[in-house]
Amino acid sequence: MERLITNYYETASIILFGIGFATLLLHSNLIKKIIGMNIMDTSVMLFLIAKGYIQGNVAPIIVDEFKGVSEYVNPIPTSLMLTGIVVAVSTTALALALTIKMYEKYGTIELNEILEKGDE
Amino acid sequence: MRKVIAVLITLGITIILLIGSMDLPQFGIEDTPTNNDVTKYYIENATKETGATNIITGVILDYRAFDTFVESSVLFTSAIVVMIVLKKEKSK
Amino acid sequence: MKDKILNTVVGNLIPFIQIFGIYVILHGHLSPGGGFAGGTIIGVSFILYRIVFGKEFSQKKLKFSVLLRFVTIGVCIYGIMKGYIFISGGNDLHFPQPPLGTPGNIMSGGFLLPLNIIVGTVVAVTMYFFYCLFEEGEI
Repeated sequence: MERLITNYYETASIILFGIGFATLLLHSNLIKKIIGMNIMDTSVMLFLIAKGYIQGNVAPIIVDEFKGVSEYVNPIPTSLMLTGIVVAVSTTALALALTIKMYEKYGTIELNEILEKGDE
Repeated sequence: MRKVIAVLITLGITIILLIGSMDLPQFGIEDTPTNNDVTKYYIENATKETGATNIITGVILDYRAFDTFVESSVLFTSAIVVMIVLKKEKSK
Repeated sequence: MKDKILNTVVGNLIPFIQIFGIYVILHGHLSPGGGFAGGTIIGVSFILYRIVFGKEFSQKKLKFSVLLRFVTIGVCIYGIMKGYIFISGGNDLHFPQPPLGTPGNIMSGGFLLPLNIIVGTVVAVTMYFFYCLFEEGEI
C-alpha cells in the first residue's frame, strides 16, 4: 500500500484515466465526450514516460564531454511516446470533423435528442 | 439509473488497475527491467555511429526511423481524410 | 483603428517567429527540439497570419495545391531515403551517404538533417490544413 504513495506518478495517471473514462460516459454532449477521450490519451502517455526516470541523472544530451553510461536518463520511452502524441492529435481531429457533419444533418449535439430523432 | 451504473463501472476499472500497479518497482532506482542492455548500447554508441549529440534525435531518426516514417504517414492520412469528410455537396 | 494596430504589430512579429522555428528544426541534432517542435512553431505562425489578415490574402500567398504538393513529395522522399538506408545498412554494403563530420557542427550526421526538415514541413502544413478546414469547408 505504501508503494502506491511513493510511485505517485503512476497513481496519478491511473486516477486521471478514471476521470477521463467517467467524463466519456456521464455527459451527453458530444464535445465533452471528445474532451474525455483526450484526457485518457494524455494519462496513458504520462504513465509510460514515467518509466524511464532514474534519480540523480541528467537529460540525455551530450553537452561538453561524454560522462559515462550510467549518468543519463533512459532515452527509449521518450522517443516512443512522440508517435503516441501524433496519433492522439489525429484521432481528435477526425472525431471533431464527424461532429460537424452530425450537426449539419440533425441540428443538435446532444446524444439523447439525436437518438430520438433517428427513431422516427 | 444509467449514471449510477457508469460511476460503478469506472470505480471498478480504477480499483482493478490500482491493485495491479501495486507490484511495480520503485520509481527511480536503477535496476528495473526497463534499463537493460539495449539502453546501454544506445547511450554508448549513439555519437560514434550517427554523429548526433542529442541522443533522442539519434534514436528516433536513425535507429528507429521506420516508426517516424509510419507516423508521418499517419499525419498525412488524417489530413486527407478530414478534407474528404468535410466536402460540401453541390446543391443543384 | 484596431485593424491598423493589429496589422502592424503582427506583420512585424511573424518573421521572428518563423526564424525561431527554423532554428529549432536545423539544430535538432544538437539541442532539444527536433522536427516536431519546430514544425509546430512554423504551423502556428501560418495560423496567426490567416487569423489576422483574412481569407483572401492568405489564399493568395499560401495556396492549397502548392502545399499539398510539398507534403506528398516530402513523404515520398522520406520513404526513398529510408529504403536506401535499409538496403545498404542491413546487408553491410556501405553505400555512399552524406558525411558524418565532427559532432557539434550543423552539417554532421548523414541523413539526420534532411529527415528533420521533411518531418517539420509535414507537421506545419498539417496543422495549417486543420485550421483552414475547421473554419470553413474546403473544396
